This record gives sequence, structure tokens and C-alpha cells, in this order.
Amino acid sequence: MVRLSRRRFLGAGVLAGGAWLAGCGSRGEPVGARPPADAVRARILRAELAAGAPVVGSPLAEVTARQDVRHAARLGAGPRRASGTADLATALARKQEAVFTFVEALPQLPDPADRVALMQVLASEAEQIAALRLADGQEPVPDAFAGFVT
Amino acid sequence: MSVATAVAERYAAARTDASLVETAIWVEQLGALAYAAAADGPLSGAQRDRAERFAGHEQEHAAAFATMLLALTVPVRVHASDTDVDELMPAVRGDRPRAALEVLAELEGAAIAGHQVLARRLHAVDILRTAGMVMGGAAQHLVVLRTDLGRPPTRAFENGL
Repeated sequence: MVRLSRRRFLGAGVLAGGAWLAGCGSRGEPVGARPPADAVRARILRAELAAGAPVVGSPLAEVTARQDVRHAARLGAGPRRASGTADLATALARKQEAVFTFVEALPQLPDPADRVALMQVLASEAEQIAALRLADGQEPVPDAFAGFVT
Repeated sequence: MSVATAVAERYAAARTDASLVETAIWVEQLGALAYAAAADGPLSGAQRDRAERFAGHEQEHAAAFATMLLALTVPVRVHASDTDVDELMPAVRGDRPRAALEVLAELEGAAIAGHQVLARRLHAVDILRTAGMVMGGAAQHLVVLRTDLGRPPTRAFENGL
């Protein structure tokens, strides 16, 4: 089982965001170098494939599995598919990690269309986390920022 | 005018990064007022408790965007008002719980669509990390509202529309 390895802290993120913005160029691009887009896309896809392992023991398993296949395809998986299965706790941890990864990657994608596509998958994964929790009798929305804690 | 149309028109009229973020702040402020009104109005029991919590979340979302606006060196002057709620979301003060949930779901969807406008149009792209966090929260609110309304809670590609 994969435990949720970390919580991300919005306070630090906001401060970092302010610092980045302070260092922006004339069109808002940070002065610092960004990682290559291909590396960012690969990181996104790895997170989605990990998050997309079918969930065992949830009444939502079938619908989330179908959606995750579509997520992977949209993110460029080609013939690759998520492997294995995951119990609910593992699935929730992996989906949370995917949300963290996607948020981190958003400003690193140069094409606005790619950013929008990633946001649509990000929102879907955040929804799946809440829906899986709700179906399990857990609080579906324990914090304001989908796992990012102030 | 529906609240979704009002939100979309505000985003369409925004011409700068600062005005896009101001629009996002206004939407979150409107959400805070609307959830609070629904909690004081037609909702009861667990739905009222959740509306009160979600009102707090919306305030946190507005504060996060306000920090981004300040990072753009623009003071925060935008304020949604009770008049906005009355004009755009009167159902949250009505007597039909389902109507209140429907208009709150419409607002959350409009907020998500707006966050994706930010993804397309912002030049200061680092703000998108904050937008992504807030959008995740809005999407999770939407799951609860859709469940209460008997609708499928999740979509493969959530665009809020």
C-alpha cells in the first residue's frame, strides 16, 4: 500500500508564487529556466498511469476506471495502460499525488491548449477523490484546496 | 441573467492578467456569500453544515487569488455583494433546497470554466498553480452538490459547462 507521502502547503505555494511573479519577465515568464516540455509531459503521464490503476472494492470502480483510461489517452499514453489494481487507500493516495503533480506542472506547459486539457483531467481526478471518499462514508471535501493545506 | 452567463461575461471582458484574477476573486466571493445565504435559508441538516463549511472554503479561495493579485502589484478592490447574490442567485434565499443546490452547482461549474480561461489566457502562468488548487476544491464541491441532486458526480474531462 502506498501511503500519502506528503501534504502540500498552500501558504508556501502562495509565497513561492509571489516570489516567482516578482521575478517575471515582461510577459510574465519567470526569468529562471523551465524544465523541457517533454519531461513535464512524461511526469504527468507517469502520475496519471499510477493514479489510474483500477480501484478494488468501491462501487465507483467501474466509472473511475473508464474515466482514467480516457485521462491517459488524452495525456498521450498511446498503448500504455495503468497496471495492476489498487485498494481504496492506495488509490486515493495515488490520485492525490497526481493532483499535486498536475498542479506543479501547469505553468511548465508552454501550450495553452495543453494547460486546459491538463486542468480538465486535474478537476476530474479531484472529483474522483471526493466521490470515492463519499461512497466510502468519508468526508468528501476535508479541505479547501483539494489536498493542499493552508 | 444566469450566474454562469454573468461569470462567463466577466471573464470575456477581462483584458489583463490583473482583471482576470480580479474576476476569479469576485466569483469566489460570490460563492462565499451564496453558500452562507443557502445555509441561512433553504438548506438544513447535513446540507446546511456543508454549505457553511464550503462558504469558508470559498473565502479561502478568494484570499488565495487576492494574494496572487497583490503579487502582480495590484491592490484588491473587487467585492461581490449581497446584491449580486440577489440578482444572480435568488434561489439561495428561496424556500426550495433543490433550487439552491442547482444554482450553487451552476456557480461551481462556472468557476471551473473560469479557471480554465485563466489557463488559456494568463501571461503570468505561475498563478495557474493557485488556480489549479482552487479548481480542485471547486470540483470537489461539485461532487457533493451533484450527489445531492442525484446527478453523476464525476466527469472524465471536467470543464464546468
